Amino acid sequence: IGDPSLLRSLNGNTVLISGKAATSPAENYHLARRRTLQVVVSALLTECGFESAEKAAVETLTEMMQSYITEIGRCAKAYCEHTARSVPTLADTVVTLIEMGFNADTLPVYAKRSQRMVITAPPVTNAPVTPKALSAGQKRTHPAYIPSHFPEFPDPHTYIKTPTFREPVSDYQVVREKAASQKRDVERALTRFMAKTGETQSLFKDDITAFPLIAAQPSSIPYLSALLPSELELQTLEETDSSEQDDQTDSENAAGNLINDDPGGDKENSMLPPSGVPSAKASEENVIDNPYLRPVKKPKVRRKK
Amino acid sequence: MLCYYDIQIVRRNLGYVELTIFPTVVNLNRIKLNSKQCRIYRVRVNELEAPFIYNDPTLEVCHHESKQRNLNYFSSAYTAAVSAVDPDAGHGELVIKVPPELWKQGDDLKVLKVYIEFSLDQPKGGLHFVVPDVEGSMAERGAHVFSFGYQNSTRFWFPCVDSYSELCTWKLEFTVDASMVAVSCGDLVETIYTHDMRKKTYHYVLPIPTAAPNISLAVGPFEILVDPYMHEVTHFCLPQLLPLLKHSMSYLHEIFEFYEEILTCRYPYSCFKTVFVDEAYVQLSSYASMSIFSTNLLHSATIIDQTPLTRRCLAQALAQQFFGCFISRMSWADEWVLKGISGYIYGLYLKKTFGVNEYRHWIKEELDKIVEYELKMGGVLLHPTFTGGKEKDNPTPHLHFSIKHPHTLSWEYFKMFQCKAHLVMRLIENRISMEFMLQVFNKLLSLASTASSQKYQSHMWSQMLLSTHAFLKSISNVSGKDIGPLIKQWVDQSSVVKFFGSFAFNRKRNVLELEIRQDYTSSGTQKYVGPIKVTVQELDGSFNHTLQIEENSLKHDIPCHSKSRRNKKKKIPLMNGEEVDMDLSAMDADSPLLWIRIDPDMSILRKVEFEQADFMWQYQLRYERDVVAQEEAISALEKFPTPASRLALTDILEQEQCFYKVRMQACFCLAKIANSMVSTWQGPPAMKSLFTRMFCCKSCPNIVKTNNFISFQSYFLQKTMPVAMALLRDVHNLCPKDVLNFILDLIKYNDNRKNKFSDNYYRADLIEALTNSLTPAISISNEVRTVDNLNADVRLILEEITRFLNMEKLLPSFRNTITVRCLSAIRQLQRNGHIPSDASLFKSYAEYGHFVDVRVAALEALVDYTRVERSSAELQWLLNMVQNDPAHYVRHKILGMLSKNPPFTKTTDSALCNEALVDQLWKLMNSGTSHDWRLRCDAVNLYYTLFGLTRPSCLPLPELGLVLNLKEKKAVLNPTIKPELEVGPEPDPISLGVCGVGQPPQGLKRKAETPLGSPPEPGQVLQQQDDDARGGHFKIRFNTMEDEDIDMETVHDSQAFIHQHLHLLERPSTPGKEPPSVEQSLLSMPATPVPSFSKETSSLASKHAGEHGHHHHHHHHEHKKKKKKHKHKHKHKHKHESKDKEKDRERDNSHAYSNSPASGRSLRSPSMSD
Repeated sequence: IGDPSLLRSLNGNTVLISGKAATSPAENYHLARRRTLQVVVSALLTECGFESAEKAAVETLTEMMQSYITEIGRCAKAYCEHTARSVPTLADTVVTLIEMGFNADTLPVYAKRSQRMVITAPPVTNAPVTPKALSAGQKRTHPAYIPSHFPEFPDPHTYIKTPTFREPVSDYQVVREKAASQKRDVERALTRFMAKTGETQSLFKDDITAFPLIAAQPSSIPYLSALLPSELELQTLEETDSSEQDDQTDSENAAGNLINDDPGGDKENSMLPPSGVPSAKASEENVIDNPYLRPVKKPKVRRKK
Repeated sequence: MLCYYDIQIVRRNLGYVELTIFPTVVNLNRIKLNSKQCRIYRVRVNELEAPFIYNDPTLEVCHHESKQRNLNYFSSAYTAAVSAVDPDAGHGELVIKVPPELWKQGDDLKVLKVYIEFSLDQPKGGLHFVVPDVEGSMAERGAHVFSFGYQNSTRFWFPCVDSYSELCTWKLEFTVDASMVAVSCGDLVETIYTHDMRKKTYHYVLPIPTAAPNISLAVGPFEILVDPYMHEVTHFCLPQLLPLLKHSMSYLHEIFEFYEEILTCRYPYSCFKTVFVDEAYVQLSSYASMSIFSTNLLHSATIIDQTPLTRRCLAQALAQQFFGCFISRMSWADEWVLKGISGYIYGLYLKKTFGVNEYRHWIKEELDKIVEYELKMGGVLLHPTFTGGKEKDNPTPHLHFSIKHPHTLSWEYFKMFQCKAHLVMRLIENRISMEFMLQVFNKLLSLASTASSQKYQSHMWSQMLLSTHAFLKSISNVSGKDIGPLIKQWVDQSSVVKFFGSFAFNRKRNVLELEIRQDYTSSGTQKYVGPIKVTVQELDGSFNHTLQIEENSLKHDIPCHSKSRRNKKKKIPLMNGEEVDMDLSAMDADSPLLWIRIDPDMSILRKVEFEQADFMWQYQLRYERDVVAQEEAISALEKFPTPASRLALTDILEQEQCFYKVRMQACFCLAKIANSMVSTWQGPPAMKSLFTRMFCCKSCPNIVKTNNFISFQSYFLQKTMPVAMALLRDVHNLCPKDVLNFILDLIKYNDNRKNKFSDNYYRADLIEALTNSLTPAISISNEVRTVDNLNADVRLILEEITRFLNMEKLLPSFRNTITVRCLSAIRQLQRNGHIPSDASLFKSYAEYGHFVDVRVAALEALVDYTRVERSSAELQWLLNMVQNDPAHYVRHKILGMLSKNPPFTKTTDSALCNEALVDQLWKLMNSGTSHDWRLRCDAVNLYYTLFGLTRPSCLPLPELGLVLNLKEKKAVLNPTIKPELEVGPEPDPISLGVCGVGQPPQGLKRKAETPLGSPPEPGQVLQQQDDDARGGHFKIRFNTMEDEDIDMETVHDSQAFIHQHLHLLERPSTPGKEPPSVEQSLLSMPATPVPSFSKETSSLASKHAGEHGHHHHHHHHEHKKKKKKHKHKHKHKHKHESKDKEKDRERDNSHAYSNSPASGRSLRSPSMSD
């Protein structure tokens, strides 16, 4: 090889690998293979008469070669599985090569060419060991009616639940104390966070971080937030009183109906011709004769403006 | 008949009005209408173009060139200006000349149809536009518009006869965007799309004769709710609030039922509409068949405190539907009857719904309010009579404003007026019984409803107008009783009665010697002669005595029943028949008297200061069942800080049968007593153990129970006790550490998760408690307040407040109560010197776009800041907001708060008090507030508070070298000439020595700016009756922009016409009226001499005037300049000779009220002095 730039690149790689040595063995393994491949590419290039190559070019060629080999493997495996086997035979590989437009007959000649370089085998790296699964419970075997070549059960830790609990604190005072301080902590953290992330106002000029106040932001419709109960309040309300909750939904339904049945006051209906929207509650609504619920009339025969 | 419009929320409305007039007198050649702000394009009478003049003297009350800055002068000029356009007197801003072709028709008393085309551009008053600044269409943004005003203010949005006594039937048409709903008075007949289908027209018909001020309008993308109990009642609210509306209105039908039952009369209109709008002018305003409320009255089912308030508002609004809208007043002087009746039946509703205790508590509260006001400010007169119209006859000389018109009243006075009116109604009820009272109301209503169904006839509809006279007559017819003295005492006369009572028990004669003295000399008091009830609780029972208060007798002997015995263990009978055991050890062994009450039924408008021993007050508190007596006892016990008082108060606090408001009051009294007894106080801080017992967990007494507000009485008590406890002080005058920690624990352990109700008011009160616990910081002089030297307790408080305020941003509470209290807490911290005083925080919360309660709280803090720091920048900022804020309520509120907590007063000196401020405020009330009567009166109030009635002391004396001080009758060399020349905002040419040379060109300039003002020609004044075209139809139509076909020529014609008439102004109409202008700057008393014409000359004079005007119509242009010169000469000539003459004349003839400086001639407002 002897090419300085290539060597540099190889060295660089080594450094890189050593730098990453702390990473998982699986990764190590793959990197070693890749390096071998790179050496192969370099050798081939030398064989073809190149004296030096840019790192990027080598890299690209390596990539191409890897893809090519991978494709051969994938394709061969597909052929073998097509014929209901699990290990590819030579024939599968040959067919694959032919399929990929490679003249398989030239291969033996090429392999035996005189000027080929011999590359040392890559240093033996351990094939990656699958990490030990968390052992929890008994690993289950297949029941009798499942063929053994079927995948095994996943590790028990993925489906076994292990209930853990502590003795609940039942002392009233402690419970209240905890609830209170927890609530306070949450509130304080939240407000501090909001104050840190947004605009603030301060009560002290010397230390604007002490007692930060979230800046007052005028809203365009201030009465909505001031009058409507917050979702939290509604939620508590539902939890505490179910009858109350029923009322709530009732009113919402009724509200919906009202709007639907009222072609006059509603903007969406004003787009539609006011032919009256028949609804499930129509009969009931008919009883209520309120002028605001009546449909808007179409203009009569052209009148003088 | 009235039609209307195209309401563009872009604030431009076009419309027309059509009035049908039935002349009642011959010689109808001028029609005067009220109109403000409207741009009038054309007027036609019976299809004939009619010329018109538009002059609004209230736009600018006194004119620029006047350097007068005293309030007396302003008030009379303002009253005159309002009188000059008073519809009740037949005046108006808009004068239409009936074309001569129609005079004949008028003489035959035939119908005239007046058609007025007008537009309203960016109205500042009358209609309020709320347009939120967000994305989307107008409907999506929740933009809406509604009419508002103080008393008769309908003239702001369409030309009309803006009087409560001019009834007519109405036809109203409103064309609005298809996404909007237009709600107005009367029945909605139909809604029709316009041809392009983008708009729709609402057609309303109001067949019941109604006065123009009772007409209103609201347009917006409202959500509609038909009342489930009464289908003719419809509620409207802004988008998204429907669930709240549904809840808040669920109670309305009961109020309806109540009123219909007691009045035995059906609700007079065929439908009723409630509209809830944002930025409302007042919380509630009633109009014919509809009421407009503030949207902030809506609440959800979780809110406790707002519920009774909202229901009260609804009840008030509904009461005013009967008395105020359906039955209207005959004249302003009769307003008290309507306010009184509606307030009285509202009281009956309170009694029925909230109970007798609440009712009596309310009556006491109202009575205390009116008594306090009258004793402080002087009397409130319900039924003023203005006979002579002379200045001397002013029935309320103690006031800095005139009560002759609703528009000149201060808002506070008007509130007190309403309060007094319903209290007087209650006095009448006491006199003639409730049964008769209701019969009278029923009679009035049935007469009115008979009248309302009649076709127009001149006399019939007057049954729908109520006068004091008719009301009293009806009372005497129904009850057969003479209530003359009562009316004379409380209605025709202002002021209240102030009693001082004391007693001695004569053991030998077994007689109670009661002495009742009166103070009737100080301001706001009057002398009472007549019966008074005294209740004496003795050992043998309770006895009523009616004493006669007479001129000279002070002492009254009341025989006692009990022959002083006590050994027998006997129960003591009370007034209500109940018999109770009492521990009598505290009482005086010789006396059988337990307690004495003077006027227990509050049947006199009075304040009673009664002296009795502390144990008697304690017995009264414990055993008297009347809440008023209990409350009186509590306030009396404040003066007796003894263990016995403490015990009595604690017992009341614990007693669950006791009215909750009494118990709340007892909390505060207990705190005061504890502070007075601080050196001898035994045991834990007051109320702490009580609170622990009532509201804390049994197992761990330092932790409060999780909230459960199902019992409202305990809820209110739980809210109040911490607030009162925080007022406790130890020997160092600090809040005890115990108490502070206790409150902090309440906050810490507050847990509302299991509660059905919101705890926002409770938390707000806890913040208030923290605020109350603050005491002034021990300050080393001039030390800058920093975080490091913050007191440890204050640090804890501040942390809580910060957290609360920040949490509110994430989870806002109902009506932002928490923010409101936090702001006042922060201000309190600043004021006590714990943290640096700074206004910027409040300024940001006071900005438009925050919830109104928050804004008001922030503004209150700012007002306080302004006073304490004497900051002129903040004062300017506030005044700037008064001028520019979109929300009228906030403007009003700022001025109100500034008057209540003024930065300085007339008696104190302040650097803030300078000429620029005087000028600014003067300008504000003079011309800056012409679109809102209430605001103008607020400005007058503030001016009064700051500078008093006379020329503000900070003003340099007028800039003449020699100043004649007429009051002190001496001449001094003006020492202020130099400063004035430097400081004066504009040199005053008149006073700088050009006096008498002539009118400065300013006059002309002003004309161009405010192109309004017409000379009160002689005939005009006398013509009042001519305009008296009662009733008839009134019709307004507002057209859409694109439909509008404005005849530009006509417009120009009209404008030219106006201009010509304006120029007429330059010409003196009567020589005597032209005053020498020097006097303005020297003399302070305004008055106007006016030629008085007799009735006989009326028609002649008016004809003459007509010709006169006509003449100038043609020739004025060419001769303008010439005339001016001529005029000036005129002035010269008259200057000297008329001076003395005028003075004389003024003395004789000073009742010239109807044509005063402002009535149009105000350009050179004549001012005179004696």
